[in-house]
Amino acid sequence: MPDWLDIAVRVILFIIILFLLTKLSGKKQLSELSFFEYVSGITIGSIAAEVIINTDNRVWHGIIGICVFALFIYLVEIASLHSKKFRDYVEGSGTVIIKDGKVLEDNMKKEKYTTDELLQLLRGKDIFDLSEVEYAVLEAKGSLSVLPKKDFRPITRKDLGLPSVNEKEPYTVIMDGEILDEALTTTGKNRAWLQAELDTQNITIENVFLGQIDTYGTLSIDLFDDKIQVPTPQERPPLMLAHLKKCQADLELFALATKSESAKNMYAKNAKKLDESMQKLLPFLKD
Amino acid sequence: MTVSSNVKQCLATIKTIESGLSTLAINSGDEKAKRLFHEQMLVMKEVKQDIMNRVGELEREEDQYKGF
Repeated sequence: MPDWLDIAVRVILFIIILFLLTKLSGKKQLSELSFFEYVSGITIGSIAAEVIINTDNRVWHGIIGICVFALFIYLVEIASLHSKKFRDYVEGSGTVIIKDGKVLEDNMKKEKYTTDELLQLLRGKDIFDLSEVEYAVLEAKGSLSVLPKKDFRPITRKDLGLPSVNEKEPYTVIMDGEILDEALTTTGKNRAWLQAELDTQNITIENVFLGQIDTYGTLSIDLFDDKIQVPTPQERPPLMLAHLKKCQADLELFALATKSESAKNMYAKNAKKLDESMQKLLPFLKD
Repeated sequence: MTVSSNVKQCLATIKTIESGLSTLAINSGDEKAKRLFHEQMLVMKEVKQDIMNRVGELEREEDQYKGF
């Protein structure tokens, strides 16, 4: 076998092996590299590279090396799943860098972090002033997690005392002009409904690049042809709110205008009902 | 416009709201929102019934404006 063919075969073989091994080890390997995973990743890569290029090495030796290494990592991961102590030792644990708004210099020294690096990590979290931080931990994977002081946290509905509203995640039901039946079923709709929705907007399914259904069952779409204007689907709820307000005002007016006592009471009662109903619906109808 | 036609217009709007709430109740994914929309739809139904009765009374009073 000529050298070039030998190398080509080795490359393909090792790509397959590495692919299978990374599939086995899961997503964790990619997202948060602990020290141990970092080292093992590099080592496995080097073994593969060495065996591929250096044709004097036997392929089997490389495969055995990689497999044993992967097996070892696998065992370590299984063990760290079961024991917290082991996990802390192998993968490391977070170090508190800022507590009660004060920087813990000793811990920074232990982690060999300079002030510049700390400020840089804080800036990455959109914090430029140290006084905004209440608590910060340097995680095992090297990122900084920051808890800003209450005054500097983003305002929420709860802060404003608004009634709580829960929204479900939107589902993508059309992608590149293809209907995704699984997502469509999850939302409790079917193809006929989707077709009817598209028909009301005079759009063919082939022209839809992306279609999503939100928590209130409205379909929002993006077309391939950007020149076509799509009406905004949020029209209905605000319109309903306007209708409610109009009706409520009408009823109050009728209550004032009528001479019949019983009708006056009836109008006033219903105006109050509408008002209460409006208060309850407001957080849902307003975006 | 007469009182009667104003009340009828209001009745029509209430019907719009009722059907809109009904649609939202069916389409919403969140259980809490679904229930709220449904409850408010029932409130609209009560209001609608009251106004419908009133429309009947008005038609009896102003016979010349008898409509649908």
